Amino acid sequence: MKLFSSFVKELTLATRSFYFYIEIFFAVVLLAVVLFAIPEQIRAVQTQLLHLDLPQPAADRLTADLLEEDLDGQWQTVVLESGGQAFDTKLIETETARVYIVDSADAVRALADTQRNIGMVLSLDDAGQLHYTYYLQGYESQRLQNLLSVIPGASLDGVAEKIADLPVEQLAPDQVLLNDRENVIPTLIAFNSSFMGMFIMAAYVFLDKKEGVINAYAVTASSVARYLLSKILVVLLTATVSGLIVTVPVFGFQINYGLVLLLLLVSGFFASVLGLLIASFYADITKAFGTVFVVLILLMLPVIAYFLPGWNPWWIRIIPSDLVIWSFREILIEDGKTGFVLMVSAGLLVAGCGLFALADHRYRKTLSVS
Amino acid sequence: MIHVSGLYHSYSQDDRYAVKDVSFDVPKGEVFGFLGPSGAGKSTTQGILTGLLKLQQGDVTVAGYPVKSMKNEMFNRIGVSFEQSNVYSKLTARENLAFYRQLFDVPTRDPLELIRQVGLGGKENLKVGTFSKGMKHRLTFARSMINNPELWFLDEPTTGLDPAIAANIKDIIKAQNEKGTTVFLTTHNMFIADELCHRVAFIVDGEIKLIDSPKNLKLQYGEKVVTVEYLADGRPQTETLSTVQAEDKARLQAILGTYEIMTMHTKEATLEEIFITVTGRGLT
Repeated sequence: MKLFSSFVKELTLATRSFYFYIEIFFAVVLLAVVLFAIPEQIRAVQTQLLHLDLPQPAADRLTADLLEEDLDGQWQTVVLESGGQAFDTKLIETETARVYIVDSADAVRALADTQRNIGMVLSLDDAGQLHYTYYLQGYESQRLQNLLSVIPGASLDGVAEKIADLPVEQLAPDQVLLNDRENVIPTLIAFNSSFMGMFIMAAYVFLDKKEGVINAYAVTASSVARYLLSKILVVLLTATVSGLIVTVPVFGFQINYGLVLLLLLVSGFFASVLGLLIASFYADITKAFGTVFVVLILLMLPVIAYFLPGWNPWWIRIIPSDLVIWSFREILIEDGKTGFVLMVSAGLLVAGCGLFALADHRYRKTLSVS
Repeated sequence: MIHVSGLYHSYSQDDRYAVKDVSFDVPKGEVFGFLGPSGAGKSTTQGILTGLLKLQQGDVTVAGYPVKSMKNEMFNRIGVSFEQSNVYSKLTARENLAFYRQLFDVPTRDPLELIRQVGLGGKENLKVGTFSKGMKHRLTFARSMINNPELWFLDEPTTGLDPAIAANIKDIIKAQNEKGTTVFLTTHNMFIADELCHRVAFIVDGEIKLIDSPKNLKLQYGEKVVTVEYLADGRPQTETLSTVQAEDKARLQAILGTYEIMTMHTKEATLEEIFITVTGRGLT
């Protein structure tokens, strides 16, 4: 009963404060970004400028080859401007590139300079061999520059066939991938719903410290642990609501919401207890800001590893947020590893309980009469 | 109701003590005043008695519970009013008290009745954030009565209140005491202490200098003189005479028998004057 009335009081206070709505508001904003700004498949389309300084039949042949890959099989006439000068171009759009064919090498150079796109002039040298002139922007990697320098002399005949003949063994043939839109969800839930709880919990505690109400609670027949638990319950409620705001519209009812709720609750518990513990060492949020910031940055490092699969050192894998992100991913993919999710949940619960015992000890020890 | 013996406390965990060898007992039904200037160790002592500060050294029993192994249930019998008001500013006055009454295992008082008793009637549904400092202080005071405490800790209960409201608070304390509530009153206001306390302790630099009743202190330290103002030959005259020395007593009788008396007052030492005499220190 005491815990319930403390929870109701905390919920009332939370709904009358700014922090409660931050998480919910950002969940709605993130949902809008996911649904309307992030495509299901992100295409990397490169823009190029091309002048074919070749005899007309050869130029026509190359243009026709490019047109075969055009999305609608027809080029469009587009006027590009550079330095107050207008240039007529033919635009050919393929799956991976937007190629503007321009009338002169000077036009390529001028447009490459102002449009900040790679330009290329294809011509014949004195020996009648193809000659490539590139206009790069300076941000291209050394690898790309090396590749561009060897392409003119390389024989590409049969490369496609050779690649097709290479033996490829798929180690995880059943692995189901998320599309680009779904792939960002684990990081969004992990941070906006779970780990944001750390910051919000610290904010709630500092509000109470400012008003001195912790001392008032300490001289009642209720325990400090109940006071801390009631705050955690409020944070878990907002974590659950904000998590579902993002997942339900994107995934519908195709995923295991039992596991989603379990992971939201245990990760939110862990994060909020971490916030409690940090807040126990400082008098106000200004003094705690440095520590909160460092911990948040540390927790965010696994996001980099998540989107850069080639970079995943051992120390990233032991950061709790890394485990939470990958656990959410396992829940979201079809036939994900339930065992892994349960193991991570159990670990977070045990770690959270340990931190809670420490936080309870800290709060009982640091109550003051000032 | 309270037993304190050999109490020491150091915030720096060394021999710089905020409270040093403090011992006293408060029997049931007494109003005990703990008087001293700011930084004397009053709040530290109250903090230890109410469990807000850890007991480092000494033997302390409150309402029958040893403070060393304090249990939450002890607070069913105790009320604490803080010097700094500490109520939820985003809750209304009524919500504040309604919440706190849920945290006790004993019958509690009606929040509305308490709000009216401290003169906040009609403000019960206003958020406390809109209250003045004095109103918040009264609400904090009202909250400390919610569980009908047998032992009531009051830290500067009338600070910042205007005289009429302060008088009301004093009346409430007196009434509660008459019902049997033991009061531990921490204050630097000697007038309040004089009016309410059965006994007072003077504490300076963490040490208790004296414990006695205000009446005994006045008898012991008062100047036993009378100031008489009379008309002699149509002109007002004033004399201050000892009520103990025979010569002055005879002179007083002569004046009374000869002249028209305008005013006559016995001079009684105030608690503040006695405090300064005993401790050599002022109260501010």
